[in-house]
Amino acid sequence: MITSKEERRRRSSSIISHLQPETIEEQSDQAALPNLNANWVNNKGAWVIHFVLIACLKIFYDLLPGVSQELSWTLTNISYVVGSYIMFHYVTGIPFEFNAGAYDNLNMWEQIDNGDQYTPTKKFLLGVPIGLFLISTHYTHYDLGMFVLNCLACLVVVIPKLPSSHRLRLSVPELMTSSSWDS
Amino acid sequence: MAFHDTLVYINSTVESISAQFIRIPGSAIVLRYVRSSYQNDPMRSFLELCLFLFAVRYFLASKYSFAKKDFIKLSTKEVDDLVHEWTPEPLVAPLDETDQTEVEKIPVIIGISGPKVKLSTGKSVMNLASFNMLNLLGNEQIRERAIKTVREYGVGACGPSGFYGTQEVHIQTEKDISNFLRVPASIIYAQAFNTITSTIPAFAKRGDIIVADSAIALAIQKGILISRSTIRWFQHNDMDDLERVLQQVHKDFKGQPLTRRFIVTEGLFENCGDIADLPKILELKYKYKYRLILDESCSIGVLGKTGRGLTEYYNIPATEIDMIVGSLATTMCAGGGFCAGSEYVVSHQRISGNGYVFSAALPGYLAATASESMSIMQSSPEIFTQLLSNTRAFRAIIDKMTYMYSPSDPDSPLIHLQLNPEVLESRKIDDEDKFLQDVVDECIANGVLISRNKVVQSQEVFPVESTLKIMITTGLTKRETEKAAAVVKAAVSKVMSKVPKVKH
Repeated sequence: MITSKEERRRRSSSIISHLQPETIEEQSDQAALPNLNANWVNNKGAWVIHFVLIACLKIFYDLLPGVSQELSWTLTNISYVVGSYIMFHYVTGIPFEFNAGAYDNLNMWEQIDNGDQYTPTKKFLLGVPIGLFLISTHYTHYDLGMFVLNCLACLVVVIPKLPSSHRLRLSVPELMTSSSWDS
Repeated sequence: MAFHDTLVYINSTVESISAQFIRIPGSAIVLRYVRSSYQNDPMRSFLELCLFLFAVRYFLASKYSFAKKDFIKLSTKEVDDLVHEWTPEPLVAPLDETDQTEVEKIPVIIGISGPKVKLSTGKSVMNLASFNMLNLLGNEQIRERAIKTVREYGVGACGPSGFYGTQEVHIQTEKDISNFLRVPASIIYAQAFNTITSTIPAFAKRGDIIVADSAIALAIQKGILISRSTIRWFQHNDMDDLERVLQQVHKDFKGQPLTRRFIVTEGLFENCGDIADLPKILELKYKYKYRLILDESCSIGVLGKTGRGLTEYYNIPATEIDMIVGSLATTMCAGGGFCAGSEYVVSHQRISGNGYVFSAALPGYLAATASESMSIMQSSPEIFTQLLSNTRAFRAIIDKMTYMYSPSDPDSPLIHLQLNPEVLESRKIDDEDKFLQDVVDECIANGVLISRNKVVQSQEVFPVESTLKIMITTGLTKRETEKAAAVVKAAVSKVMSKVPKVKH
């Protein structure tokens, strides 16, 4: 027999959850104005800037004394991955007041192209970290440690970009309660 | 032999493909890359290949949308047919029988409104159906000030406040309101209904929590609705229920990011005439860390010894309340509304109060009228004593009625009358509104103008009880008010005498 307490624990122990579909009000608020927070990624400059940033990172790490070529490539890859993870998958909502908070639950990747999959921009944004990974492993001369680091970093940004992770959330209940405001 | 042939065929194909491949520009780089990346590590190369193939698959996939496409594709002919079939409805639908009676029953006042008016039927009646509680309507001093302002500023503000619409009089009126309520700042809106519907969404957004009284007026309900906040309702004026809801919210949203939380209630309830228990609400507000938005549309210039509203009635400084929203169109006999509070509360609304930013400002003469009304209230506070004594005189007679009772506060000059539940059981009243309309007609026939409380039920969140709405005014003497009460009482008895009893 399952007591109510066990039932609750079982439910809260599931760390993967799907976002609820939007209500009518949220849908109409989302459609009220173009989503300026996500639309700019379709611009040409927004594509080029990825290569520019990667080049800048590489140059920056090369300039640091004592950093080998292998380490420099790995650091470049990891920096790019961390930055793009925060930007596309960690931060939710819109920093400006356009839609009365209608996008508050969605991260930027889910806002791009109104959640459509396999759009040109999404293909590009998925291609960049994969390409960067292949290049970095190549130039790290297949050192196993570096390879594992680069590979994990690559997976961290590729998995959330998959259509099957759309609107999926990972939440660890124990961590949630510790950050609660009133505990 | 066939096997051998196949092998030869495969070999030659591979050779020709590789020969072709070498001809492609850049193929040497790819070959070198593959050779050097293999490095006797088949597992890792396999992994990279998988990743590469996955990327290729992803690039070749065609776009699709998660959004449901629940529409039917129609051919051009079908579209044309539908267009031909369509007959437009009339822009204004013909009135049905209820609407028709409703329209016919509206009394028409000839001339200027006031405490005693002449109807289009030629009858003179005492007016207990207007918010003119302090008899400031038609006041000579106010009229002169309004005329003077029209001569100086013209009739309209001709633009939103932030766009050439602000005139000296507006700034003066805002100062006057702040001084009157003894709060740091205030802001005026051009329309009373739009004041609360601008103030609430200026502060409460999606994800914020609003705990609201279930009997609040329509404007407040609409304000909450367009703020997109999460709404929790508590039973009307039930402080235990309020506490229960606050505890429930605390429990439900525990562990989630902290958002803004508001308690929204009305000072003097427009739909029942009772008064919010402010001291208890303040206590709960501080205990559970909420902000309080108080709508004083009906209580400003009505409650308290000098008409400063609910806060004065309970002897609580108005600064304790985060946002006081009120109407200048009720007892002040002007137009528009205001929100009073701290400097922050007010200046935030100057750029994010929709009604303030996007509507033309209040006409200058109405702002001046409101200022003048407030100065009269301050210079002659005895009108509030008179209002209270008229109210009590009226209630003394009305409360003795057997068929109807008043849910309103004894001190409230806004009096609602409702049929007793026992009467509804023992008498055959099919349509309460029709019964009340008969009472109204009977009162008008006997020289007292009152009204039903008219609401659009389909717009309300919770059903509003059918009531008679009576507003006491200082424009009538105590004796006249008592006479009016007697007329209402007699009218109820007379209409009730025609209603058959239910046979058990």
